[in-house]
Amino acid sequence: MRPVLPKATSSRAWTVLVLGVAVLATGLYAGAATLPSQLELHWLTVAVFVVAITVGELFRLRMPSGRDAAPLASASALAIAFLGKIDGESLFDVSAGFVVLVVTAGLLLAAVVRGVRGGAVGLDQVAARLVGVAVAAWLARGVAPTGRSLWDLEVASSVPRSVVALGMVGVAGIGIGVEIVLTSAVRSERQRTPWLAALRDEFGEVAPLTFAVVVSGPMVALMAPVLGLLSLPVALFPLAITYVAVGRYARNRVTYRQTIATLSHLTEHGGYTPTGHAERVADLSLRIGRVLGVSDRDLRDVEYAALLHDLGQISLIEPIPDGATVLAAPSDQRDIADEGARIIRHAEGLERVADYVEAQTTPYRQVRELGEEVPVASRIIKVANAFDDLTGGSDDPVQVRAANERIHLGLGYQYDPEVVEALAVATSDTAVGRVGEPEPVAR
Amino acid sequence: MTTEASPQEGGAPHRATYATNIYVGVVAAVGLSLTAAAISIDGLVIDATFWVMVLLAVLAWLFGSVEVDAGRVGLSFTSIVLLATMALVGPAGAGVVGTVLGPLQPGRTPLNAKIFNTGMFATMGVVGGSAYIAAGGTPGDSPGSTWQIMRHIGLPVLVADVVQLAVNLVLIAMVVRISTGLPMRAQAGRLLGTSGPAHLGYGIIAFILVVLWGPARLGSASVLLILPPLVVAQWAYRQYSEEVKGHERALLVLVAAVEAKAPHLVGHSARVAELSASMAEHLGLRSQMVADARVAGMLHDLGLTTLPTGLVRSSGVVGGTDLQGYPARGVRLLRGLSFLSGALDAIAHHRDAVTPRAGGEDISVAALVVGLADEYDLLTEVGTPDGVVLTDDEAVARLRRTPAGRDDLLRALEQALSRRAGVVS
Repeated sequence: MRPVLPKATSSRAWTVLVLGVAVLATGLYAGAATLPSQLELHWLTVAVFVVAITVGELFRLRMPSGRDAAPLASASALAIAFLGKIDGESLFDVSAGFVVLVVTAGLLLAAVVRGVRGGAVGLDQVAARLVGVAVAAWLARGVAPTGRSLWDLEVASSVPRSVVALGMVGVAGIGIGVEIVLTSAVRSERQRTPWLAALRDEFGEVAPLTFAVVVSGPMVALMAPVLGLLSLPVALFPLAITYVAVGRYARNRVTYRQTIATLSHLTEHGGYTPTGHAERVADLSLRIGRVLGVSDRDLRDVEYAALLHDLGQISLIEPIPDGATVLAAPSDQRDIADEGARIIRHAEGLERVADYVEAQTTPYRQVRELGEEVPVASRIIKVANAFDDLTGGSDDPVQVRAANERIHLGLGYQYDPEVVEALAVATSDTAVGRVGEPEPVAR
Repeated sequence: MTTEASPQEGGAPHRATYATNIYVGVVAAVGLSLTAAAISIDGLVIDATFWVMVLLAVLAWLFGSVEVDAGRVGLSFTSIVLLATMALVGPAGAGVVGTVLGPLQPGRTPLNAKIFNTGMFATMGVVGGSAYIAAGGTPGDSPGSTWQIMRHIGLPVLVADVVQLAVNLVLIAMVVRISTGLPMRAQAGRLLGTSGPAHLGYGIIAFILVVLWGPARLGSASVLLILPPLVVAQWAYRQYSEEVKGHERALLVLVAAVEAKAPHLVGHSARVAELSASMAEHLGLRSQMVADARVAGMLHDLGLTTLPTGLVRSSGVVGGTDLQGYPARGVRLLRGLSFLSGALDAIAHHRDAVTPRAGGEDISVAALVVGLADEYDLLTEVGTPDGVVLTDDEAVARLRRTPAGRDDLLRALEQALSRRAGVVS
């Protein structure tokens, strides 16, 4: 379980946390006086939305990259930012601060439940979401450039609904955008990924879901005047379909990876390569890739190629000692890589993975001197493989330092200096390059 | 809504094709005349709403539909558009939109399927639209309380949904009955099981669209609100189905690994997979078990990859030897893969099935099938290390002495082989 509070060194995480607390304090300050009367008036509405946000937060989606998304909670939180007339309930005429308090209650409740269950709490992520919703609520209820806020227009029945809807979708988009920028800032710092790469991946992977969330929140508020509180479950239904579809897709990704991992076990069960070597090389390659800002899309192939980099050993007549290809003769290394690539090419759709496996033995010298094109993925796998062969999977600092030094000796000749630098960063801190809430990994 | 099924699938005899074409013609005539009748009774108001619905119908065609797991999941925009049109435009409009939707069904469909779809969707539109009105549905723009909306939009949409699904099921079950002779009730039941729950979902989405359009006074802007989640879901299903295909192809890498280890087995795994599946089908096993038999046949030799290369290449596995327990090694490799759990038993015991000994009643059918297919292929195609290949009869005589040499299994093998020969010639 990750500590509840971020580490002292992660300044961006602290900034986001402080922002979240400031938003909450402002909400409390602005809403404290009227809080009891508002709660008495809107208790049912508040209760329904707090429950929706809590439940939505507990049913998070784990995306293929390891990111978590909580589309149903995000949409519910945005909905309450816009809520006006509700059939059967009194007009939801509250301040942006009150909205922040309601959303906080839902988010914290979910965080407590997750904490009790032994999961990760991730307060900085909660803070980022809160700031995003606060921005949306403030834009909808607090900002009135023409004397009337978006909320005033929404309640006035003379304004065309399509204009109101457009405004809501825009504001919701800004709110979600703020959340994504903050989340990616924290993530890029923790993983040591360049911020732009983190931002691109964050927007890229959740973009389809975000589209769905950005319209679902306003849809609830637009239907509430005629459907009452029933509009929440009804308007979130299309999003729930999206949730199921994306979840299926993400889960299938997991089984696909398991199949590839099984391939990496073939050489291990045969005693050609040490147990866990392929998994460790894959893990390290991914982390180095993130430090270098390799996109999520390419990382998948990096991971698969790293898992399969020793597959070619399967048809060796005599196993090489400890399966350590870094110690084998260069021509043998090439033969192994070629054989592996040949086997992988039997599956359509894995051509790039095969290319990466094939090129993993090319020394960096040939890139520099002969201008040969070697994919960055192959250069990463070459370094990660050498590191694991040299340390034998141990994270004993002495061995790690020795391996780093030995790899440094091959700098520029065998290994790409940029990748080696990223290796040094990745081996300095276990959190570097890891996505999402780290889960206890049995090693 | 499984309307893409060609009425002629399965190589129906000529007389059935003739009957099918007559039936298709009748359905088309009924659909078009119902639409014409609705227009002459109600009149057709060609306003913005109507055009938006036609546009949506075209969009539904462009987005296509994704079918995953033989129609069990996925998303079809067609039903949503048709339902919304019933409520917002009326029976006549729904008939016209249905007529437009028919030929626009995704995928390449033969001409008579297109004509059939046109007639069916038009019928569904008019009958469903009439059911909507009969259930007390209002054109949609009457504002009111939650209760009134549920009464005058929610319930009628549900009724129209059920009615259009019923029309859909009956017409399709009938076309299948006429062209292939499969009993109608079983067909309708199967269709209901696969697409029934999805249709309830389409009903809810159509309901949201109607409420946003009418009572919430959004008009055509409501389409822009409802589309993004649906398009994203569609996108995700598409990704999913592509990943599933990719995943299936990745299994071929496992086979390639076996063949790299044992070059004399090139093509063996694929043949055993085909034979096993074919035998399982002839034995009348469930479709999941057929699929498991296929995968087990494909991966039955995986354990060989963990043995020393020299040993695998020098010794054949013919004649019941099991080479250092390689079946169990294969199972150990695959144990973590949940989607293969049904195939593990057959992989583990496929050698036992063809090891001559007393008893053998405890071996599962799947293991017997895979073992028989494997041994047959080894004897007649792969041969012993010194190149001895047996004839069919010699092989069968030898297999008869093993637990897998049961009459029913050998008959299934024979049928599978003649089917393979039919495909080859």
